[in-house]
Amino acid sequence: MTTTSDLSGLFGPDRVHRRLYTDPAIFDIEMTRVFAASWCFVAHESQVPEVGDYVTTEVGRRPVIVTRSTDGSVNALLNRCTHRGALLVHDGAGCAKRFSCPYHGWTFANDGRIVGLPFPADHPASAAGKRDHLDLGRLTTATYRGFVFGTLHPDPQPLAEWLGAASEWFDLLVDRHPGGELRLAPGVQAIEFAGNWKLSWDNAADGIHATFAHHSYNVLGRSNSTDTVLDRDAAVSPMLARALGNGHMVVDQRPGIPHGPWATMRPTPFSEQLTTAFLERGEAASDLDLATGSMVNLSLFPNLLFVGNQLLVVEPVAVDRTRLRLFLVTAPGAAPEIDQLRLRVDEDFVSFGTPDDLDMFERVQAGLSIPEMEWIDVSRGLLDGRDIADDDGVVTGPITSEAPQRGYLAKYASLLTTEVTTRVR
Amino acid sequence: MMNTQTDMCVGARYDELTSLVASIAGRPTGEPAATSNANAFVLAEARLLDLGRYDDWLAGFTHDGVLWVPLTPTSHPGVDQALYLDDRRRLGERAAWRTDPSAWGQQPASVCVRTVGTVEAWTDGATTVVSSAIIIDEHRAGRSQHLAGHQIHELVDHASSCRTKILLFPALASGLRNPSFLL
Repeated sequence: MTTTSDLSGLFGPDRVHRRLYTDPAIFDIEMTRVFAASWCFVAHESQVPEVGDYVTTEVGRRPVIVTRSTDGSVNALLNRCTHRGALLVHDGAGCAKRFSCPYHGWTFANDGRIVGLPFPADHPASAAGKRDHLDLGRLTTATYRGFVFGTLHPDPQPLAEWLGAASEWFDLLVDRHPGGELRLAPGVQAIEFAGNWKLSWDNAADGIHATFAHHSYNVLGRSNSTDTVLDRDAAVSPMLARALGNGHMVVDQRPGIPHGPWATMRPTPFSEQLTTAFLERGEAASDLDLATGSMVNLSLFPNLLFVGNQLLVVEPVAVDRTRLRLFLVTAPGAAPEIDQLRLRVDEDFVSFGTPDDLDMFERVQAGLSIPEMEWIDVSRGLLDGRDIADDDGVVTGPITSEAPQRGYLAKYASLLTTEVTTRVR
Repeated sequence: MMNTQTDMCVGARYDELTSLVASIAGRPTGEPAATSNANAFVLAEARLLDLGRYDDWLAGFTHDGVLWVPLTPTSHPGVDQALYLDDRRRLGERAAWRTDPSAWGQQPASVCVRTVGTVEAWTDGATTVVSSAIIIDEHRAGRSQHLAGHQIHELVDHASSCRTKILLFPALASGLRNPSFLL
């Protein structure tokens, strides 16, 4: 049995223990304390625009259906029949007024209420005249700028508090879209790696790995006379890394790319035709920046990463297996070429950058199997005096600082070592 | 929504891709002569890819050649994310990337064995449309992946060059480890 005391000993100010990445017992604890009891991203409202629309997701390995119910509200329901426990819908998306269990026919409205109980006379709930205890389990939900979050915490702090200092960065990412309107393209790409979920977090605000792990991406850029956003000297770059509190992190690459985001992109398939059409119609060249990412990578703990124009949802599968679900963010209020360009830009890093990240994750996981080498170093920037903490606890450092990793790990440690009894609404 | 002549060209090319996918289900039994010629092309292509002869493989594409790997058979390349949609230039980059010693996602390189079967082909005017099943067994860094799907080729110049290649793998929707081996 893993006690809170055991867990506390796995964290130091400048290091964390390998067991956090390799111990299945700790993984099981994480799924409740770090995921189910936190505010996890479950869907964007654009994924369920019409009444009856639903998508499936997971929160701490719990299958979840996110639905738009008849009253227009968005619900996050546990994808488990309240009879024997069968999944009501398989992975995917669709539109349904009701979810009917294929096993024994129990039927639920898309807000989770039980509306059909076959052979009702035989069930005690009928005799009692009360059956709302048979409704589907549900998460507490809250929405920020169209992003729906869910939690099973019995007394969650308000979502706005949870987001805290991350809100202004969140706003920045939403407001760069005309009218503040963004949508998720309907298809989702799933990629798995043989590694712990925290490897994707360690990487998300890691400003140094771009020089080494993404060397090949930068080589492709140079072959087209393009300085990619990753092809910068981290030692002198004015880019910034921040720990935002509550585990959230941001990397602001904008100070290091004086010519703007679009200038960091190699030509992509059909990009010349599309940009020509865009400019010939009189659109501003600077608006092409919308076709690529904002150059602000925001990570909302524990499961949502904004990278470029993609949302990466982190789904732990096992202590040594993680699924990333990748969504493309579109800009419906922009000129049509912007989304056309985004589609091909989106594929570019997934093709020539993400595979290198995935390989690093799997190398790290394999290396962490060595029991005699216990510790993972996260000390960079800790003592050099360049990390600056403000009154709200936000720590800002140069792109080489591991302040964001220390920040998320501190929140992670706090959650992991605090017992919580989750509650289904 | 396409607004200009230039946009129309891109949109028309995208529409060609979706039409090609949609056309396969309703086609009659493959034409024997066309199937025989196309069979030689798709088998040779599989061999070139298995051997990592990417330059020779690239030479088999026309200047306006496209490789499309959608996430679902009903995807549209102008609406939906794809694993990739490469024009000839990015195909060249993909080939170059795979042999870059600092492309860690392919170091060590995937060793792949492609098995192509159920080949059928039809002549559509000056082009030959080919449908085939493909299984790719990938081995890399001590683990293996097995992937089954379909591929569609649009061949020109008497079935000697490829203008369009589409790979359809159902497993893409549910999660694949490091898909950079897919060609």
